[in-house]
Amino acid sequence: MPPLLFWVFALLMLIFGVAVVVNRNPVASALSLVVSFLGLAALFMSLDAYFVGIIQVLVYAGAVMVLFLFIIMLLNLPAEERRQINWLAAAGGIGVALILLVQICAVIGHFQAAHQTLPPLPRSTTDDVWNIGALLFSNYNLPFQIIGVLVLVATIGVVLLSRREPR
Amino acid sequence: MITAPQLEIAVLLLGMAILMFEAFATRVDKRVLAFAAIVGLALILIASFFVSPTPSPDRATGLWNFYTADKLSVFFKQFALLTTIFVLIMMIDYAPVVRASFPGTTDGLGEFFSVPIFTCVGLMYLVSAVDFIFIFVSLELVTVSFYVLVSFTRKNPVTLEAGVKYLVLSALSTAFLVYGIAWIFGATGQTNLQRITEALANPNTDHSAALLGVVLVLVALGFKIAAVPFQIWVPDVYQGAPTPVTAYLSVGSKAAGFVVLLRVLRPFVTLPQMQRLLVLIALLTLIYGNLAALPQGNLKRLLAYSSIAHSGYLLIGVVCLDGNAVVFYLAAYFLMTLLSFAVLVIVAQQTGEQISDFDGLAKRSPFLAFAMLIGMVSLAGVPFTAGFLGKFFIFYAAILQRQIALVVIGVITVGCGFYYYLKVVRAMYWQPANKAEDIPISGLSRLAISALIAATIWLGVYPQPILNMLKR
Repeated sequence: MPPLLFWVFALLMLIFGVAVVVNRNPVASALSLVVSFLGLAALFMSLDAYFVGIIQVLVYAGAVMVLFLFIIMLLNLPAEERRQINWLAAAGGIGVALILLVQICAVIGHFQAAHQTLPPLPRSTTDDVWNIGALLFSNYNLPFQIIGVLVLVATIGVVLLSRREPR
Repeated sequence: MITAPQLEIAVLLLGMAILMFEAFATRVDKRVLAFAAIVGLALILIASFFVSPTPSPDRATGLWNFYTADKLSVFFKQFALLTTIFVLIMMIDYAPVVRASFPGTTDGLGEFFSVPIFTCVGLMYLVSAVDFIFIFVSLELVTVSFYVLVSFTRKNPVTLEAGVKYLVLSALSTAFLVYGIAWIFGATGQTNLQRITEALANPNTDHSAALLGVVLVLVALGFKIAAVPFQIWVPDVYQGAPTPVTAYLSVGSKAAGFVVLLRVLRPFVTLPQMQRLLVLIALLTLIYGNLAALPQGNLKRLLAYSSIAHSGYLLIGVVCLDGNAVVFYLAAYFLMTLLSFAVLVIVAQQTGEQISDFDGLAKRSPFLAFAMLIGMVSLAGVPFTAGFLGKFFIFYAAILQRQIALVVIGVITVGCGFYYYLKVVRAMYWQPANKAEDIPISGLSRLAISALIAATIWLGVYPQPILNMLKR
């Protein structure tokens, strides 16, 4: 992918990511998140990670965000009220974030691997899905199974915390 | 012969069995489930003593890429099992409160007893983890189950606030963890801690990038162990969460956080930059935790600040890279914190969580007052208790390493600690009681509290068994 496209998609992601936070209307926030996810998916595809990119679109931009929008509309959430901003705290937060940014830029400036073009990966004879599946079920089998337990606990929690009381 | 991975599988099966039983046996008193869980965990605890610690093979493959069964991890598996058993005993005492928040049904209680078992699995995996992928997955298992437990009695607005705060801030800290892991992976090309150490020895590896990654990981772990400046969530969450869950958070979650911290920092801790950073964090944590605890009137909040303060002492041990001192301190901290919370669970249901609610406890229940006394003097670090020896080993390690600033500030803050811990003792023994009636204690709680009192004093007088266990 030409560097120009990288910058386009990265900027798209960042701008709409900020829009998610800044927007007061929940629907607008959710839609901004969709665009941000699409930019991320494009970046994944530019790295030849087609499967991850497509899953990003299907699962996050598709299923999860549709669910978000449904809930926002069903609950008929009003636009967020204008809050009193504590400017001192905001300035402090921005200051810390800027320091972190400068630090990261400095480290990238020193980082050798960031300044050289790495040779392209050898063309894989198998497709992405096969590669990821093989890794998940061979080397990374143990973490994969623990994620199963994690999902079980999350399910219990959701059922328990979202249930309605009998009247 | 039992191998270490079988322990987690056994706990996992126990958790699922209890969950299934909960779902299908609707007429049974749910407290039976807690007793079953306690018995099951106790059996697994006994089995864990027959596990021989085996370090993972050098060029590990498969399971041993992620998992180690060294003596540290086996010790902390037992630690996690014991913590869960004591938390379940507290949860039985706490059951009326949970029941009140699910009116009209018998639901909720069964899950309240089974989720901690899954947390225990997460803790047991976490202390064995030697790969960042595995650390992340097991840390998430622990965190997600704590999301559920912290906001369990969601009818109470304070609990709901605690739950939301814990969810948002914990998710933020997870983001830092993942970002840090990405940097480390980018710099070294490895996720296994052993191979990261090897890659760092290679002069071609970019150290500044790896250091940035470790600092970001430190942010996430600092959140787990409640180190300043990542402690903002602690007082509110500790106060709002159901009391047994608070005890679990402050003992289980913190101990696992320190084990991971010891493992992750090992390749980096000798670097001078890392030393300076850790000393700074330890100093801030000591000063903040102890000073902020001084004016507290709510005992749960006081214990929250005390938990921050104890992280400071533990961090001194981490700076000196004295694993044994840290482990001994954690064992002592486990005893005295669980002791205080066990008394708090019982007394809070009768009167309240304020320190003034403990007025005259010595008259109403001499046993509970004595238990609280031992807990408090041990937390403060009075000689002949486990807490004193814990602090002694930590300061001894710091003196050997010539960390004079840490020792001086540490000793001064211990003095601060005496003031606020003994405030509770004063309320119990020197204030007139508001109410006269006795406080009932169940037999199981009496047994558990007696065991904790005995262990706190025993470890303070004769610490050899634990020390030998660590040396072996």
